Amino acid sequence: MSNTEIEIVVEDPTAPEADSPVVTSVRVVDVTVSLLLLVLAAVLGFDNWRTGIAWDSTGPQAGYFPFYLSIILAGASLYGLVAAFRSRKEARETFVTRAQLRRVMQVFVPTLLFCLAVQFLGLYVASFGLIAAFMRLVGRIALWKSLLTAFLFTAIMFLTFDVAFDVIMPKGPLERAMGR
Amino acid sequence: MEALGLLMHGFAVLLTWKTLTLMMVGLVLGIFVGVLPGLGGPNGVAILLPLTFTMDPTSAIVMLSCIYWGALFGGAITSILFNIPGEAWSVATTFDGYPMAQQGRAAEALTAAFTSSFIGSLAAVLLITFLAPMISSFALKFGPPEFFSVYLLTFCSFVGLGREAKHKTVISMSLGLLLAGIGMDTVSGQLRMTFGSNDLLRGVNFLVAVIGLFGISEILLTMEERLALRGHAAGISLKVVLKVWRELPRYWVTLLRSSFIGCWLGITPGGAIAASFMGYNLAKRFSKDPESFGKGRIEGVFAPETAAHASGTAALLPMLALGIPGSGTAAILLGGLMVWGLNPGPLLFVEHKDFVWGLIASMYLGNVVGLVLVLTTVPIFASILRVPFAAVAPMIVVSCAIGAYAIQNAMFDIWLMLGFGVVGYVFKKIGIPLAPFTLALVLGNRAEDAFRLSMIGAGGDMKVFWSNGLVGSITTLAIVLLFWPVIERVFAGAGRLMRPAKA
Amino acid sequence: MKHVRNTIKATAALAAMLASAPAIAAWEPTKPVEIVVAAGAGGASDQMARMMQAAIQKNNLMKQPMVVSLKGGASGAEALMYMKSSDGDANKVLIAYSLIYMLPLSAKIPFNWRELTPVSVVAMDQFVLWDNAAGPKTVKEFIAAAKAAASPFKMGGTGSKREDHVLTVFMEQKTGAKFSYLPYKSGGEAATQLVGNHTEANVNNPSENLEVWRAGQVRALCVFDKERISYKTKVTETQSWNDIPTCKEEGLDVQYLMLRAMFLPGKVTAEQVAFYVDLFQKVTQTTEYKEYMEKQALKPVFLTGKDMLKFLEEDDKLNASLMNQAGFVAK
Repeated sequence: MSNTEIEIVVEDPTAPEADSPVVTSVRVVDVTVSLLLLVLAAVLGFDNWRTGIAWDSTGPQAGYFPFYLSIILAGASLYGLVAAFRSRKEARETFVTRAQLRRVMQVFVPTLLFCLAVQFLGLYVASFGLIAAFMRLVGRIALWKSLLTAFLFTAIMFLTFDVAFDVIMPKGPLERAMGR
Repeated sequence: MEALGLLMHGFAVLLTWKTLTLMMVGLVLGIFVGVLPGLGGPNGVAILLPLTFTMDPTSAIVMLSCIYWGALFGGAITSILFNIPGEAWSVATTFDGYPMAQQGRAAEALTAAFTSSFIGSLAAVLLITFLAPMISSFALKFGPPEFFSVYLLTFCSFVGLGREAKHKTVISMSLGLLLAGIGMDTVSGQLRMTFGSNDLLRGVNFLVAVIGLFGISEILLTMEERLALRGHAAGISLKVVLKVWRELPRYWVTLLRSSFIGCWLGITPGGAIAASFMGYNLAKRFSKDPESFGKGRIEGVFAPETAAHASGTAALLPMLALGIPGSGTAAILLGGLMVWGLNPGPLLFVEHKDFVWGLIASMYLGNVVGLVLVLTTVPIFASILRVPFAAVAPMIVVSCAIGAYAIQNAMFDIWLMLGFGVVGYVFKKIGIPLAPFTLALVLGNRAEDAFRLSMIGAGGDMKVFWSNGLVGSITTLAIVLLFWPVIERVFAGAGRLMRPAKA
Repeated sequence: MKHVRNTIKATAALAAMLASAPAIAAWEPTKPVEIVVAAGAGGASDQMARMMQAAIQKNNLMKQPMVVSLKGGASGAEALMYMKSSDGDANKVLIAYSLIYMLPLSAKIPFNWRELTPVSVVAMDQFVLWDNAAGPKTVKEFIAAAKAAASPFKMGGTGSKREDHVLTVFMEQKTGAKFSYLPYKSGGEAATQLVGNHTEANVNNPSENLEVWRAGQVRALCVFDKERISYKTKVTETQSWNDIPTCKEEGLDVQYLMLRAMFLPGKVTAEQVAFYVDLFQKVTQTTEYKEYMEKQALKPVFLTGKDMLKFLEEDDKLNASLMNQAGFVAK
């Protein structure tokens, strides 16, 4: 009936191995997140207490809602902390394996560097760099393909945002040299 | 009929070459983001939203809603061909869609999916068309207490009806509300939680948060998993399409039931996911042959797709009329409306008739055009998946950064986006739901302002929330929903006690 | 110190303007010019910025395009801090209003308008006392009703401890009536809430209430100025802007006008200032500007150089004393 059927197979040569050692369990992360949320709740709660948490003649002051919200957040995080400690299921669950973490870092670190580069080199230069380097180094794609794709994508973005829609993006030394 | 006249006016607004071109562009972009791994409806709309800032609101919303339709269609393509649901509500579509594709009936399954999405959305659009005029007369009754009670209803229903662990929903929501409070407090004119930082002065923009939470974190998650794909690309021939359409009338009960479920659940928040599963399960329960479900039955594609799209579309009604988004994408569109200076709420139907009816008309047109477009271009879009992820990932990162920056022209927002990316990744993995967070970030300030304005108006008397029938019933309903799990248990308990007595 | 520096700058600007009399400015922007709006989309500042954008583009007053950039975060403080941090960047112009005096006082924002470079005052905005079309018909009846009401009358406005709020406090002080002030996010919201009878009155700018006034849903009670608005064309079925009495005529002696002015960031050159002075002067001569002034009932004014500085200093003093009297200055 559908003789136009084509089989699509995409292999992923760099896929993480299934038997990689576990870095950390869900429980550890859950506990850490709960603790961080507790700290955040304390900081925000204190700031709102300084702003004023009383109930004026005209209703609550500026800090009233955020203050009680931070107490609710603290309460829920405490509950989460206890629940995470008691949960056997979470202790057994893997949060991330070493291979997975490596793969996540392969995207995260370039993204971080990209954000830094945007700040100093401008968005377009940074995005050219990110795409070309990522395709070449992580994807092991031929250098000319990587450079061409990066250039085309960056050029299209530049034309769409800066030229067609007048949305001003962060610029760096290169754009300044080109007089934009 | 007033609605029809207004709708015709809406079509007149739309039928210009410029708008039609924007629709096509939106649909193609939408299908594109729907098919791409690591994107999908809300992410795609969030990333592409800044592109529309320089357009007039009507063109912008037409384009965005077309991106939305496109993403919905695109989600169906990957669910059926590759067993990858683009959105949570496409999950039910994979149950029968993927087996069909494996049996070499991919074309049939796709036609079924697209056609039923079309039917579902059409049902919901009809509903919106005829309910919208009623809303405008209802509009002026909304003062601060009414607005607050509606926001309360939304928050309570999330906590009460959510499936995740309650404390995690509460964490997610209170964190969102807190972040929403950063910056200047409108009611007192005081700064709070800014810690003397100029970047925190303007507060946390929810679009920046959404781009990070969904876009960046999804890339991290996708990377973590094995990316090997094995699927089937299918060309759709006219013969197959006609064959499926001839079969349609046989399933009219399923289609009607799913449309109804979808419309109903779409109006209540978070409905689309529930709707698709409910549509599927009910079709299965009422079927004469429930065993064949899950093995490639066409009805198993019809039912969830119709329901999901009916609810996805119906979700726009509470968003436009009350400012309450029924789905994640609707929440992002809501943020867009505010950027264009349109205040969603009952008065939108009074003050911006052109916009509202242009949008409703664009739903009709977008659906028809979208149906034709997807039926003809499936093989092209399916082949996008052959583009290596290593090329797609950095492009998505760049698009996210552009999107985050363009909202307020602030470098700080790019860092904020990155931070939210990490938060989103960790939260998704430890089961803290992101939807309540997003919702709280969008509505937090408005809810607080509405509450405090009510208090000023009423001289600090809480009874104002029960001061008339309208506000009283909404507030009461909100409290009922908040304690719904408790109430359900009591009823279930009572039910158990009753049954032996009857027997 | 600052004052001296500014006077020098302004004189230099004036000199530069005189030197380049036939509008051949020595400096021209080389990239798109950002017009920074210290308010949300659709507000009075935004509308004005878009009018200028249209006027400049339609009449080819500048080679580079003009981009409206909305920085309404933190009630406009975002825009002020943005301008403050853009020293020396002549591709950004702020469209300012009374927030430049009031925000630093009420919210302790580290900002002083003297750190920016004043270019020109382009208009003055009026304030009008409005009530629901079904409410009292004159100021006297309105005040009497407000005094007699069991719970205080609700007065809608934009933002807290700002011009609308100040006006409300002054009305209380002059009349002895009590109002509860409801700060909304925008003038548009204040307008619709008045139509829906959720507030009894508001003190919106003419532009913010224009549509609901034309629809016959609200009534204009009086205008807070020494003289009536000059426009005599009918706006509603029966009334023109000129038909609205002044508040003083009606026995409520409160006056307030708000500036609409253009500022460049600090540390820009005299040629750059001269370019913009010339540009905005041309804008005020376009039909777009004139139509806009009439439609929104703004007072067309053009002040620059020394005149503007003198005006700003006086206006600053006036606003500071109003804020002090209203008790809105943060300690």
